[in-house]
Amino acid sequence: MASVTISDAIKKYGALQVLHGINLDIRNGQFIVLLGPSGCGKSTLLRMIAGLEEVTAGEISIGGSKMNDVHPKDRNIAMVFQNYALYAHMSVRENMAFSMRLKKVDKSKIAERVGWAAKILSLEPFLDRMPRELSGGQRQRVAMGRAIVRNPDVFLFDEPLSNLDAKLRVQMRTEIKELHQNLKTTTIYVTHDQIEAMTMADVVVIMRDGNIEQVGSPLEVYDNPANLFVAEFIGSPGMNILEGTIGEDSVGKTFDFHGFSMPLPQDFKVHAGQNVLYGIRPEHVITSTSGAGLQATVKVVEPTGPETHIYADHGDMELCSVSRERLALSPQSEVRFLPDIDFVHLFDAKTKIAILKSQSAG
Amino acid sequence: MKTPLSLVALRYAAAMFITVIFMFPIFWWGLTSIKPASDIFNKDEVVVFDFKPTLINYRVTVLGESPSMLTGGGTASGTTMGTGGENSFDGRKTIFDSIVIAIGSTIFTLAVSLGAAYALSRMAFRGNQLYLNWILSHRFLPPIAIIVPLVFMFHNLGLRDTYLGLILVHSLINLPIAVLLLKSFLDDVPKELDQAAMIDGATRWQSFRMVVVPMIRGGIAATAVLCFVFSWTEFLLSLFLTSEIRTLPVKITTFVTSTGSEWGFISALGTSAMLPSFIFILLVQRHLVRGLTMGAIKD
Repeated sequence: MASVTISDAIKKYGALQVLHGINLDIRNGQFIVLLGPSGCGKSTLLRMIAGLEEVTAGEISIGGSKMNDVHPKDRNIAMVFQNYALYAHMSVRENMAFSMRLKKVDKSKIAERVGWAAKILSLEPFLDRMPRELSGGQRQRVAMGRAIVRNPDVFLFDEPLSNLDAKLRVQMRTEIKELHQNLKTTTIYVTHDQIEAMTMADVVVIMRDGNIEQVGSPLEVYDNPANLFVAEFIGSPGMNILEGTIGEDSVGKTFDFHGFSMPLPQDFKVHAGQNVLYGIRPEHVITSTSGAGLQATVKVVEPTGPETHIYADHGDMELCSVSRERLALSPQSEVRFLPDIDFVHLFDAKTKIAILKSQSAG
Repeated sequence: MKTPLSLVALRYAAAMFITVIFMFPIFWWGLTSIKPASDIFNKDEVVVFDFKPTLINYRVTVLGESPSMLTGGGTASGTTMGTGGENSFDGRKTIFDSIVIAIGSTIFTLAVSLGAAYALSRMAFRGNQLYLNWILSHRFLPPIAIIVPLVFMFHNLGLRDTYLGLILVHSLINLPIAVLLLKSFLDDVPKELDQAAMIDGATRWQSFRMVVVPMIRGGIAATAVLCFVFSWTEFLLSLFLTSEIRTLPVKITTFVTSTGSEWGFISALGTSAMLPSFIFILLVQRHLVRGLTMGAIKD
């Protein structure tokens, strides 16, 4: 086990710069998820940690020693690839034993470690099969087995679940998390799936265009997105964003939008006339058929079982609310959306950075 | 949909017809080799099965027995080869020469082209594509165009009439195709496999030898067959570059003389010549399977 430190890491492919000075401290034993849309540089960063990509500038160190010019084989890391990358000409047992065979580990020790890993991953009945005789989930497990047998300092996962079907993905997600809880090996996990990130991570690193947008625990980034990108990227259905200005009435500051004035928590550090983006998550929108709130016309109603997603148009804007109540709504009917003001997020219209509340700003 | 029986029958009939057409020359060749000289060319009729089979042609060419002893002094061309027991139709050394050269050049070609193909497939270097085109351009020239400089070069290097010389020259011709072929097989092996091996602690050489090469076994086998067959059948370069060493195609042409052609010996040695390459192909055939990387990655 080891910590991983990335300082000012830059990656260029010719003139194209894909990582712009990444700084990240990963503590010993942490499960950290790099999350972002495709092309954000998260896989490149992972491959740089693995040593499969050169570091153009900056430094990557594992367990305190600089790794920039160290060959992957000497980094004591293990990696699980998106497409498994199993050695197709070797049995499951040989796949898992490969790394130890290279290190000339004692045969009895190899057998013991492979047996141990197979037991953890429920691969015991398949040890003598070839990869082509396994299902996708089993192959993924072999790839993981190959990683854990060596007891590496760091586990690297590159979208390991994206090739599995939905049900298996949920199951493997739990298995990986459980594995981490048992082994407590520092883990860096790349995904574009926010559910994976939210459910597995100790720390989520949200990336965009080669920059880190926010680092925090899953609930931190969900509850307090640092900027508009994070706010919109995390959460499904996505956060409602309204564009308007700050106004003032007899009670205090308001958010004015399309001639409609909504109250605001008074501790936001804003001034009247400021252009802002008003964000509210669908589950914090109270839906009713009459009473106070933004008037909107129902477009689509999606029942998911525990909750119902209601998409409705307010003018040319689409809004969404999530309700746990059984509302009798049909397309074209009128609804009222009332934001719960305790859960309002404000972003500066120009910088797109979250506007803080006075007490949270200290 | 079930194919109607008549259509199935038609398909088999067509397949058999085509097979017969392709097999007939080989069959006739084999048949000729066991005919007595008088029945090979018969001015009255074409002898198909109505002859007394003889192994004399094989005994002369493959076992090296003296023709004059067997035929009572006369051959078809009337020449009395082998004064003092020397038999110029003896194919034993020539078969040996051909095997040495074909296997030698196949091994040499594979060894060089595997390395080159791996570099071209896996390593990014300036001029990678250019280099590939340059390799291919070597096949644009017909061998006859380089024969004169080659003869001089080989003469000065002392490579004329040596096994090494012919092994080198056959490899020279085979290398471009082998490199291109192996590169395309290597390109099909996902790069993640090399990377996984390296992360597992393998050096580049180890990942090449233990992971990549086993996965392109089929491609290596196919390339080996091509190289072997080329070398086995190559005529022109061998003709110019050798005199003592004789490969089969060159040797067989010497049976066509100004006084007549020894069709019996030609067909016997020719039929025998099929055997080693047949065995070679049988040996590598079990590697000629597709889908060796199946299961490695999610397809």
